[in-house]
Amino acid sequence: MAEAATAKPLTRAWTVNDPLVSVTDLKVWFPVASGVMQRTIAHVHAVDGVDLEIEAGETLGLVGESGCGKSTLGRTIIRLVEPTAGSIKFKGDEITHVRGGRLRALRRDMAMIFQDPYASLDPRQTVGDIIGEPIDVHRLARGKERQDRIRELLRVVGMNPRYADRYPHEFSGGQRQRIGIARALAVEPTFIVCDEPISALDVSIQAQIINLLENLQSKFKLTYLFIAHDLSVVKHISNRIAVMYLGKLMEVAPAAQLYRTPRHPYTGSLLSAIPIPDPAVELRRERILLKGDVASPVNPPSGCRFRTRCPRAKEHCAEEVPPLESFGQEHLAACFYPLEG
Amino acid sequence: MTQPLLQVQDLHTVFSTKEGQVKAVDGVSFELNAGETLGIVGESGCGKSVTALSIIRLQRPGRIVGGKVMFKGQDLTRVSEDEMREIRGREIAMIFQDPMTSLNPVYRVGWQVGEPTRLHNGLDARKAFSSAVSMLGRVGIPSAASRARDYPHQFSGGMRQRAMIAMGLTTTPHVLIADEPTTALDVTIQAQILDLLRDVNRDFGTATILITHNLGVVAGMCQRLIVMYAGKIVEAGPTADVFAHPKHPYTWSLLRSIPRLDAETHEPLKPIEGLPPNLVDLPSGCAFHPRCAFRVEKCSRDVPALLRVGDTQQSACWVTQSGTELKGG
Amino acid sequence: MPAAGIETGGARPAQSYWNESWERLRANRIGMTAGILIVVLAAIAVMAPLFSLVLTHYQPQTINLDQTFAKPGAAHLLGSDELGRDTLTRLIWGARVSLGVALLTVALSLSVGTTVGMVAGYYGGWIDDVLMRLVDTVLAIPAIFLFILMSILFRPNAFTLAAIIASVGWGSVARLVRGEVLSVKQRDFVVATRSIGASDSRLMVRHLLPNVLPVLIVAASLGVGQIILVEAALDFLGLGIQPPTPSWGNMLTNAQSYFFRSGWLVALPGITIFITVLASNLFGNAIRDAFDPRLKS
Repeated sequence: MAEAATAKPLTRAWTVNDPLVSVTDLKVWFPVASGVMQRTIAHVHAVDGVDLEIEAGETLGLVGESGCGKSTLGRTIIRLVEPTAGSIKFKGDEITHVRGGRLRALRRDMAMIFQDPYASLDPRQTVGDIIGEPIDVHRLARGKERQDRIRELLRVVGMNPRYADRYPHEFSGGQRQRIGIARALAVEPTFIVCDEPISALDVSIQAQIINLLENLQSKFKLTYLFIAHDLSVVKHISNRIAVMYLGKLMEVAPAAQLYRTPRHPYTGSLLSAIPIPDPAVELRRERILLKGDVASPVNPPSGCRFRTRCPRAKEHCAEEVPPLESFGQEHLAACFYPLEG
Repeated sequence: MTQPLLQVQDLHTVFSTKEGQVKAVDGVSFELNAGETLGIVGESGCGKSVTALSIIRLQRPGRIVGGKVMFKGQDLTRVSEDEMREIRGREIAMIFQDPMTSLNPVYRVGWQVGEPTRLHNGLDARKAFSSAVSMLGRVGIPSAASRARDYPHQFSGGMRQRAMIAMGLTTTPHVLIADEPTTALDVTIQAQILDLLRDVNRDFGTATILITHNLGVVAGMCQRLIVMYAGKIVEAGPTADVFAHPKHPYTWSLLRSIPRLDAETHEPLKPIEGLPPNLVDLPSGCAFHPRCAFRVEKCSRDVPALLRVGDTQQSACWVTQSGTELKGG
Repeated sequence: MPAAGIETGGARPAQSYWNESWERLRANRIGMTAGILIVVLAAIAVMAPLFSLVLTHYQPQTINLDQTFAKPGAAHLLGSDELGRDTLTRLIWGARVSLGVALLTVALSLSVGTTVGMVAGYYGGWIDDVLMRLVDTVLAIPAIFLFILMSILFRPNAFTLAAIIASVGWGSVARLVRGEVLSVKQRDFVVATRSIGASDSRLMVRHLLPNVLPVLIVAASLGVGQIILVEAALDFLGLGIQPPTPSWGNMLTNAQSYFFRSGWLVALPGITIFITVLASNLFGNAIRDAFDPRLKS
């Protein structure tokens, strides 16, 4: 008896002009347990009220430093982490709490690429099995057709199809990352969350993978949420960029605009901190140096989270949380005293 | 003309592995002058860290099998272990990449930072501690007196790295070797630490060797740099010149493959094709030739030497040594 | 110009983790010798009737009151005991018991312990709490008390003895597996497999189990020596296999009273146990060195 392949989720009246992913006031809090009885004494506010929309076909870059919650946000959107509050919509459908069959159907439409090429592949499986697993799980193909699909996927990511019989440890970091990308493509997704896909790779290989991701995007009409801490890379690959700090969005803007006219002081200091491979430029640069370290996500500062490090902070910043305000042309920033244009 | 502070001459360090012998450092020569900051740039496996470790003889399980490291008239590869211990920490200090694991979690930070002065300068516990506190203050740790009594896990990554720098400086060494000091840190913290290293270099006059894979960091920090690939130096020269007109295809291709924050338009990146070299099974001739856009026949046969190309730079490349300019589409 | 796109590097033959580990094991001389010794012992145990027939010409229970306390010699290669039974024959048949019970015990503790540990580690939460409290309880029961109780209630044969020993041993296996599962569960490839829609059971069986297996193999091989000792001790105390069925342990039970008549009766079973446990420990160490993923550079 032939088993049916997992069907992609049915969508109501969603068109390509509506946002593909729509996140509203999303919160993800992790309990901190302590003591013999492991009672919850506090929460890590990993994602603390995020509103975001991702358009079909675009690459939205998500940047921030460690602890800002970008990775958690990405994993929550793709339902690998349970949201604490708020809503996530995919193709117009509410997916915040779906389970079982509906969740499985969702997994055919959304995929993820991971940071560590050494940890993201099962060392006990062959490359072919790793790429074939999504095909098996969703019963997309069998036998020869399955083999053909696996080989084609390897080709598409620039690897020799004969490598299907090899084991991950025989490959370099860049090659493993290609295998991970092939696995993500195996379900034929519409949306891929790329969680720091190149940070663990050598510099000379990073460009190969970036180009690969861009080519795949236009070839398969993919939408990316590209999470990284390296703003140079994010600016290159993204249409729009969202900047996160301690669980909240500080600024969202088209990539070039974010660089030219950042509005949020955090964005400004991030930009000025990134080293540029050009000695002449480096010598001329004005740095906005932040004082101190990132505050704790367990007990975030009142009002604006960034105020403890912000060179422009005033009293008001401690009293009220600045909302994301529009600065024209899809440019939003959450700051009472933004940088001038 | 003053003598260089440190001279590495034809250094060779090897590792014996199950698959064969790895020439981690394969004939490396360079100089470090007093007060300057020299960058060693390269990707993982190129030998930059092993070079640094070999200078202070911490390269085990590798073995130094050739060359000299001249420092203050002595060949560091030949001095006794006791003499080397005197030099380590006192004259040549090293900071490592991972501040999480470089500090011992069971001792207070102030105690650890004071350890070099107890060992080398013979200070007693109390004096060492107060000198540590003052150094912690100088590297920008707020409330240094009370923070010095904390344990490493109470410090953030950036602060731990500052503590490591403080520890390196307490004995006012002549040379500071920083091995990827900011790679594990967030970018805004990285900027703070690099700023600190610049101040340290200026205020203390310590010569610094900065090892990194990040070309942007080198551009902002180093007056001179050397580029390593597969255990050899492929290019060397003043930073401004190397960036403006690189004389080795590896450097040239690397610069073109990195996305720049200040790029005006979205041009597709031009990656370096191929894979990083397998150190056990290096290509014949020039190790970079399989990936090189400019290679000629000679490149697969003969290993190029590091020779002067242009006024101020050196490059180990047959193509540029014969006068060809590096250009491309 | 270098070819763009498809890479053709890496022409080494496919080597799975198992192949690599096997080679490492083979390279360990001491370990392999110990392993071969164990295999030989097992073979002898399996072929005990054959040996009885061909080599020693005795059955283990054959009483011969004319030849009691014989020294090792032509008639009895390793001597005879207080009832004239041939020691060598009894040692060979005793191997069946000792190795058989050990194998069975390992199989039982591993299957129960792995299942419990896997479920507890994977699901976490209250399932983990309940199961681990159960494990704690089991581990807190004094083993000797349990053994005495069990042997009073049942007449132990090889199977029930294995079950009894395993009932105490599965707890540490469960803890071990749970720990491994907790750490492997966090690794990216598990999250990746979840992200493609794999079910819990698929994850546990196809991904977690193979990655937990090396640790299990190591634990099992190091545990076998322990089990042989425990089993011998139980037999010696009269709580295990009862005479006249010979086992290395119960051969020692009466041997102490006859020590001055024939020291061989104490020495031979003792030495046999010692050699077997030593071999199994050495082999276990070699397996750990070869298979333990954490020891890899």
